[in-house]
Amino acid sequence: MKKLTLFLVCILIVGIQIVNAQVKSISGAVTSKEDGVSIPGVSVLVKGTTLGTVTDIDGKYILGVPADAKVLVFSFIGMKNMEVEIGDQSTINLSMETDVFSVDEVVVVGYGVQQKRDVTGSISSVKGEDIKLMPVQSFDQALQGKAAGVMITMPNGVLNNPPVIRVRGFNSITSSSYPLIVVDGVPVFTGDVSSNSAASNALGDINPADILSMDVLKDASATAIYGSRAANGVILITTKRGTAGKVKVEYDGFFGYTEPYRIFEMMNADQYVEHKNRALSNNPTALTSNFFIPTDANGDPINTNWADEVYQTGFQQSHSLSVSGATAATSYYLSLGYLDQEGMIKKNTYNRKNARLNLEHKVTKYLKIGANLTITNSLNAAPNTGSLAGQAFSTAGAGRLAFVLAPNLAPYKNDGTYNTAGSAIGNMGQPVANYGYYNPVAIMDLNSYTAENDRVLANLYATLEPIKGLFLKTAFGIDNLGVESISFLTGLTGDAYSSNGAATNYFNRLNRWTWSNTANYDFTVADKLNLGVLVGEEEQYTEGNNWNGSKTNVADPFFTTYQGSWVTAGMGGGGQYENYFISYFGRLNANWDKKYYIEGSIRRDGFSGLAEGMKYGTFGGASAMWNISNEDFIKDGVIGETFSDLRLKASFGKVGNMSGIGSYASMFLYGSGVYGAVPTWVFTQAGNPDLQWETSNKYDIGLSFGLLKDRIQVDLNWFNNDINDLILTVPQSPSKGVPGNSIPMNIGSMYNKGIELTLTSYNFSKGDFTWTTNFNISTVKNEVTELAPGVTEIVGVTSGLETTSRTMVGYPVGNIFGVETHGVDPQTGRRIFLLASGKEITYSHENPAASRWQYLDGSGNAPAPVLNVDGKVLGSPIPTMYGGLDNTFTYKNFDMALNLTYAMGFEIYNGSKAGLRDQRWWNNTVEVYETAWRAAGDITSIPKPVFNDNVSNGSTMVISENVEKGDYLKVRNVSLGYTFKKLPGVLEISRVRVYASIFNAYVFTGYSGSDPEVSANGNSNLTPGVDRNTVPQARTYSFGVNVSF
Amino acid sequence: MKNIFKGLFIIWLFVLGSCSTELLDPVPKTALGELQAFDNKARIEGQVNGMYAMVKSGNFLAGRFQVYNDIRAENFLPKSTNLVTGYSTWNHSVVSSTNEVQNLWGAVYADINAINIFLEGLDTKWTAGELEGIITEAEYKQYKSEAHSLRAISYFSMLQLYAQPYAKNNGASPGLPLRLRAYKTGDENDMARSTVAEVYTQILKDLNDAEGLAIDKYSTDLLNTARIHKNTIIAFKTRVYLHMNDFAKVQTEAAKIVSAAAPFVASTGVPFALTPIFGDIWKAPYTSKESILSMPFTATNLAGGQNSLAHYNHPLSSESYYLNESTGTAFAMLNAEDARKKLFATGDVNKKTVYFSGKFKEFTVQTDYAPVIRYAEVLLNYSEAIVRGGNAVNQKAVDLLNAVRTRSFATGAYTVDGFASVDAFKKAILDERSMEFLSEGIRNMDLLRTLSTIPGKPGAPAAVEPTSPAYIWPIPTTELNINKLMTGN
Repeated sequence: MKKLTLFLVCILIVGIQIVNAQVKSISGAVTSKEDGVSIPGVSVLVKGTTLGTVTDIDGKYILGVPADAKVLVFSFIGMKNMEVEIGDQSTINLSMETDVFSVDEVVVVGYGVQQKRDVTGSISSVKGEDIKLMPVQSFDQALQGKAAGVMITMPNGVLNNPPVIRVRGFNSITSSSYPLIVVDGVPVFTGDVSSNSAASNALGDINPADILSMDVLKDASATAIYGSRAANGVILITTKRGTAGKVKVEYDGFFGYTEPYRIFEMMNADQYVEHKNRALSNNPTALTSNFFIPTDANGDPINTNWADEVYQTGFQQSHSLSVSGATAATSYYLSLGYLDQEGMIKKNTYNRKNARLNLEHKVTKYLKIGANLTITNSLNAAPNTGSLAGQAFSTAGAGRLAFVLAPNLAPYKNDGTYNTAGSAIGNMGQPVANYGYYNPVAIMDLNSYTAENDRVLANLYATLEPIKGLFLKTAFGIDNLGVESISFLTGLTGDAYSSNGAATNYFNRLNRWTWSNTANYDFTVADKLNLGVLVGEEEQYTEGNNWNGSKTNVADPFFTTYQGSWVTAGMGGGGQYENYFISYFGRLNANWDKKYYIEGSIRRDGFSGLAEGMKYGTFGGASAMWNISNEDFIKDGVIGETFSDLRLKASFGKVGNMSGIGSYASMFLYGSGVYGAVPTWVFTQAGNPDLQWETSNKYDIGLSFGLLKDRIQVDLNWFNNDINDLILTVPQSPSKGVPGNSIPMNIGSMYNKGIELTLTSYNFSKGDFTWTTNFNISTVKNEVTELAPGVTEIVGVTSGLETTSRTMVGYPVGNIFGVETHGVDPQTGRRIFLLASGKEITYSHENPAASRWQYLDGSGNAPAPVLNVDGKVLGSPIPTMYGGLDNTFTYKNFDMALNLTYAMGFEIYNGSKAGLRDQRWWNNTVEVYETAWRAAGDITSIPKPVFNDNVSNGSTMVISENVEKGDYLKVRNVSLGYTFKKLPGVLEISRVRVYASIFNAYVFTGYSGSDPEVSANGNSNLTPGVDRNTVPQARTYSFGVNVSF
Repeated sequence: MKNIFKGLFIIWLFVLGSCSTELLDPVPKTALGELQAFDNKARIEGQVNGMYAMVKSGNFLAGRFQVYNDIRAENFLPKSTNLVTGYSTWNHSVVSSTNEVQNLWGAVYADINAINIFLEGLDTKWTAGELEGIITEAEYKQYKSEAHSLRAISYFSMLQLYAQPYAKNNGASPGLPLRLRAYKTGDENDMARSTVAEVYTQILKDLNDAEGLAIDKYSTDLLNTARIHKNTIIAFKTRVYLHMNDFAKVQTEAAKIVSAAAPFVASTGVPFALTPIFGDIWKAPYTSKESILSMPFTATNLAGGQNSLAHYNHPLSSESYYLNESTGTAFAMLNAEDARKKLFATGDVNKKTVYFSGKFKEFTVQTDYAPVIRYAEVLLNYSEAIVRGGNAVNQKAVDLLNAVRTRSFATGAYTVDGFASVDAFKKAILDERSMEFLSEGIRNMDLLRTLSTIPGKPGAPAAVEPTSPAYIWPIPTTELNINKLMTGN
């Protein structure tokens, strides 16, 4: 309340109007040169002043100007700015020209907007139009390759699985490297908010069709206004507003089909039996008898392609309807969205219904109020895909079951019931007593996982403009998200067999409010000095509240929900936390005659998660820019003729990352549980009262230029990001017994540096044909320069089982670490491993334990390789170069777009390959069948098959054989459309576009796994680039229509 | 213009002063700050139970410790080759990064630190007089005694897997890092291994200290089984001394809780005795006078997924271990009339009938208590110590052995004359233990303390000699990575 009063006081102080004598009235109308239609909303300004107006709905304006006014400036987004000498005229009519090569767009910056050419920081902007037609669940999935410096990785083809976002590389080690996402001024919840296998990306609740623009803030100058949360970059999402003119009604819809691609070619039953029996003959004591092909109920041999049982062609449809417009006082944007998608994995669906209302109303000349309101319900359903972080080794994982199961087993017994034996798939008489893995058909049919989000994302604001150019704004935003995650597991087989069924309901409520108050004043002094001042205060309160209940031992298989009757009720559980930010910030920008720019911003954040005395941190950034092309001596010279735009800029600053600081991270805590039936207290958290934010010192130098009258626009940036005081959950010797074996500390440093290039070229735009190219490329060099004293590496473990990665000083974060192998010895068919001693050894699984490892040189028994001793860095999974290439063509009414993305200079740990070559009963690829070593002299990369051998293939430890280059070029989206313009008819349809597109159309890569764009460990920094038992990516064909009324 | 700046400046100043301080200092609702942990007796008692809960970790005494000690030896064959459920241990193919090698180490040291934190807090508060009126001196002593005992049990258990047996060279082999103080901060990651003998010295110091402070008995059978009292400590000492081949001490300790003549019972404190019918030990409420220390479970406090003894010993579990029927195994040695064999559960592996110990029956909700030490073991420890200590077979020793044996196998009584030598007796008693403690995690400890070869079993590599590197587990990678003074096995 205090703050509101303050603003009123402020208004009184500044409420003294600067009154200019208005002696002359000018009026006129503005039309479009292209089609002669009047343009409402054009800004008409007396040059060098803040005096101006906008055109009304008919494109007309009246403006009182002072006697000394000389020039009027007309500007409108998407049109070329025009300046007209006033002279003696009292009527100035104008037709404006479309600016195809527009650089004079508005860019959203923290707590404000700036003209693109006035931005001194490093910002990449992506228009909503560019992504809204992709068949994705959330806008972040569509950002790949669109913005320089922004690397997006879709982990796999599970619907609504959050993509991994990295802005200018990995900026943290044990905290998150995920950027701050701000929607219409409100920092929103991100990440997978589901508590079970049905992934639920919190950003999926925002309909991409509602998005006007996405602005990615990258350097210190642009991000410093977000202070302690800025280090990973900030993505500002702005939703659509109504624009002046007649009511605009738009409908976008598509339907499509999705399917997996690049799934593995596995052995069929004949090949399997032949191959496994050959392996058995090399290790005869492993099983009591040979494999065989049983027959089905019709007497036909069983030959199951398990991928067919797991994957499908899914149907998808999407409908978005929006109504928008504006009168002189009110602008509105109303939309409804409906998205219904089946995934490529059976039982994987996504359904979203949402409504949005963006409203702005001018109450008086000085006061504007507005609201952005979205309500979303989204329902995610999925089986256990084994493809979310932590699931890689699940025996229920669909991605793994699709290739691991033997083809001589069938999903159904001959009596028509599911082929199960206890929790696992039944052996159908095969010599393997217990297959351990589940029958995917049974568990996918009988189990279910859903996560349902109910989201209210709203923002109410009021803006006072007591004098021209001064905006006092108060905005209150909420992000309330309730997620109900429901799982049911059958007692007939699978995970809950031993407990005779299990049902778990999990409710997670995340509430946040953000209240920000800002004053923004833009003014010009002495005609040439343009100044902008922002001061503000913001508070943010977040509350997390989750609880769950689970029941086991179903009373009757009839019950499939928690609410049904069960014999045993679990204890239930949950968690609660709250945290709070209080922040003060300011920004000053100044330019002299649009030639010399400086900008500085500062933010002081207080955060509740830190200990007393450590709660506050101050962050800031500064930048300078020289717009060379506005210099008179350049304008008229040779350079001016070549460069239509030439700007040089530089920035530096210090920002923070607090994502690694939990709400109570500084405290020493005891947790309670039970021992038998009595309560307990146990020391559960070794806190750190000295904990502080991670700090990033960011440096950036940029060059922007336009050639051939802005036909070609280039942005070139060099950046260096020095990260210090990294919060490392410093590993403690397990023998110390500290809870979690780690303590968070501000130790360690790392840097990212690189170059980004963005090129937009309007290659051709004459007559009926246009061709536009957008190209961007980014390089990142990442190196860890310091870890905690005495800590030389941080081990990264995939799904709690496989030690795949290691972060070490002098290397990029999250290296793949394992034992080097040297192919297969052609004489014996044994895999050759390299010991740290430099000696080569081979592995013979059929030997007694003591003689399995042998020196290759024949000098007898060798020690087994030990990861810790013999392991080494086998590659870095962080691409050193990545980007995108978009080409858009139009010819008459046809349009075509081709979006490519690429990444280079990195390695992937193909852990799935270890599984695909495992010589237990596991099925193998046809490659194994065809090329495994058989006789002396065979040159192959696949060793002699020895039954039960899980060492030579790399199941027991990471080997270099399974580390591959990940370089790829991907045809992300290709679309072809046709537009019908000016349709006659009763519906007043002004425009209809029909199109067809293929999303994830093709990938060019030498990688042998299903897709090098993969992350079995989700958003993890310590274990990126691991491909372990995940499902492949999905390819989607869609057919759509956009109709404007 | 000046006014504008003045206005903005005033706003700025006011805004700076308007922070909500209470929101900046939130108090967790589901965890307790350490300063409040000793505020009242219930919390202190909660912390005592918390130490037991830590020892009862799924990776330790709730099941996996017993399981590993069973399946390393010869009595079991796996249904599954799942590496998560002990296959590498069964197969003697564990390496320093194998999950069980890392997880058990981590779980036991976590419990040791929890104990040290409690001990340090309790002693500091008690010495400072801050617990006056909150707990009595007797309670203070009792809690301390329980803490020391649990620490001793923890160190002793770890020695069995990660260090060479004491018998090998009187404990001169590398043992464990002896962590005896509370760790809450990032200091002292590096600590060298004490020798096996030094660790045993510490174990005995803890147990002797604990015995002096211990409570005689609790008010209920449940507490007498689920918590430690004086006789529990003495019973455990018989095991520790036996592992050190200190047969005289075994006899001294055993004599405190075993009456001079049959029926053998503890005449002071909790009156330990054999349960007359073997099968009754394995029935709810699991708190017989024979169950000296067991880990209790309830439907809402289970060992967790793949940790419980039922998961590894029940026919319905797809990852259980069934009995090896080869010569020399418990299965082969047990007489058909033996109650211990009659307890066997049957299952089906590959259409063949197989057997399970039958001790852990609750499969749907796995609430069978996990045994840590039984009175039968004290009797057999005593018996073995008499014979090996005196290097002669005598009636007392045979009586003690028979007490356990004939309970289940009435016609199987041994006589002194029946033993041709001390070695014959030694073999008989080890065989008896193999049969008696099937599925209770004793067999591997018995093999190692007697420096015996771990016999081979079908489908696994050959026997493991005491000289083999596979005779004991390796030191986990996670420890070697960080503790720079740590050495491998």
